[in-house]
Amino acid sequence: MDTQAELTEKRPAKAALRIIDCDVHPTVRGGVASIYPYMPEAWSRRFARKNTTMASIALTTKYQHPNGSAIREDTRNAQGEVGGSDPHQIIAEHIGPNNIEAVLLNCLQSGAFCSALATVDESIVLASSFNDYFLNEWLSIDRRFRYAMAVPSLDPAAAADEIRRVGRHPQIAAISVAPINVLMGNRYWWPIYAAAQEHDLPIVVHPTGTDSIYQGTPMSAGGIPDSYIERYVTLCQGAESNVNSLVISGTFEKFPKLKVLFAEFGFTWMLPLVWRMDRTWRQLRHETPWVKRSPVDYVHDHIRFTTQPLDEPHDPEDLDRLIQLMGTDHLCFSTDYPHWDNDMPDLSLRTLSPADRKKVFFENALQTLRLN
Amino acid sequence: MSKNGVNVGQVADFPVGKCRLVKVGDVEIGIVRLANGEVHAIRNRCPHKGAPVCKGIVGGTWPPSQVGSLDFVRDGEVLICPWHGYEYDIKTGVELYQDSPTRLRKYQTTIESGSVFVTI
Repeated sequence: MDTQAELTEKRPAKAALRIIDCDVHPTVRGGVASIYPYMPEAWSRRFARKNTTMASIALTTKYQHPNGSAIREDTRNAQGEVGGSDPHQIIAEHIGPNNIEAVLLNCLQSGAFCSALATVDESIVLASSFNDYFLNEWLSIDRRFRYAMAVPSLDPAAAADEIRRVGRHPQIAAISVAPINVLMGNRYWWPIYAAAQEHDLPIVVHPTGTDSIYQGTPMSAGGIPDSYIERYVTLCQGAESNVNSLVISGTFEKFPKLKVLFAEFGFTWMLPLVWRMDRTWRQLRHETPWVKRSPVDYVHDHIRFTTQPLDEPHDPEDLDRLIQLMGTDHLCFSTDYPHWDNDMPDLSLRTLSPADRKKVFFENALQTLRLN
Repeated sequence: MSKNGVNVGQVADFPVGKCRLVKVGDVEIGIVRLANGEVHAIRNRCPHKGAPVCKGIVGGTWPPSQVGSLDFVRDGEVLICPWHGYEYDIKTGVELYQDSPTRLRKYQTTIESGSVFVTI
């Protein structure tokens, strides 16, 4: 059997592929002090006094990356700054060489603050400050930069205010909602969904790094993972719960224009999940009569999954078989640059037909993100 | 056996809101009398997975509704399979609220001189 790399050599691309990368992680260079100019002085003084840092996302030892960092060492710029912190480096090393037309920037530092690391009030201020930092210091550099704006997950009303404050910026393409231990179908989230719909922005959910560590974050099912590998493998459990919750709670009946993109949870679990949802709904539909159509249809119409991290069955054609079963409408290509487990376009999904690759690498994202 | 089918009992033998089983030849059939007086005959086999569907609840159901609100309709006109919960419209035999519904096997009934006749 061939590896993806061998397949790439055997099946050279016949035509240039148009690419949108739905998951790239920028890092605020210089730490939290860099966003002080974007917050009221009283708050910057507070963070300075507390020595708030974001050099790491406070991973416990057992969940630290076994090779030292989840960020690729080889993505440092000439000055030795950490990968993802230099917008010009991302353009030179990633966007340009891979011929990518747009990248969705999703900052996990703000995500970690908004899910667990900060107080509610702090997270409101930090989310706004991160947003203004990226709007001012990154987006003007290159139109290919599109941004998933931060919102304080712990205060949905404040999150909705923040969406209304900056959500019309033409390079904001999504709203990054840091997952917490409130399932996404809960009406707790309705203010965010209402504002998202108003602005035609999809919700993007992505693990923040705080998952399974802190009270209030989504926990792995069944118990506490004991290693980086165990936690990594179980991160998709939260996404499964949230897909289920969104559909069965009637979220898409309440917000018929809402779209949700699950980023970096993989997707190979999706088909058995929707089969189970569909079966059970058909049998016990009247418990949640607001679910008016098959869950399969709601997932198809409203939910998308980024492709990374691609699972790697021993026979790569098996992945193609699975995708054929689930259909290609659900998938949006992502690299996860600059993280260690990134998938580069040339070496990804080479078994798909050219028409399917076109959908997965470009068209589906075009229909999901708000790309003005 | 008359020209109208097999006499399965007096109308009064079939209380409204219950599904009573009778046997016609080798076929087990549930007889349900609705509040409006109609009498329906249904084969006791769910098309989903072969369950004895006529042993299920005869009642109403909660139709598609707005998020967070409940309506209640068709009281006494819905048969709910005791195994997997498929809901059937007793009058038509059609599974409720599905794009591709399954369908119960139904038989024609007639009432003559106070007796229920089933044609199979």
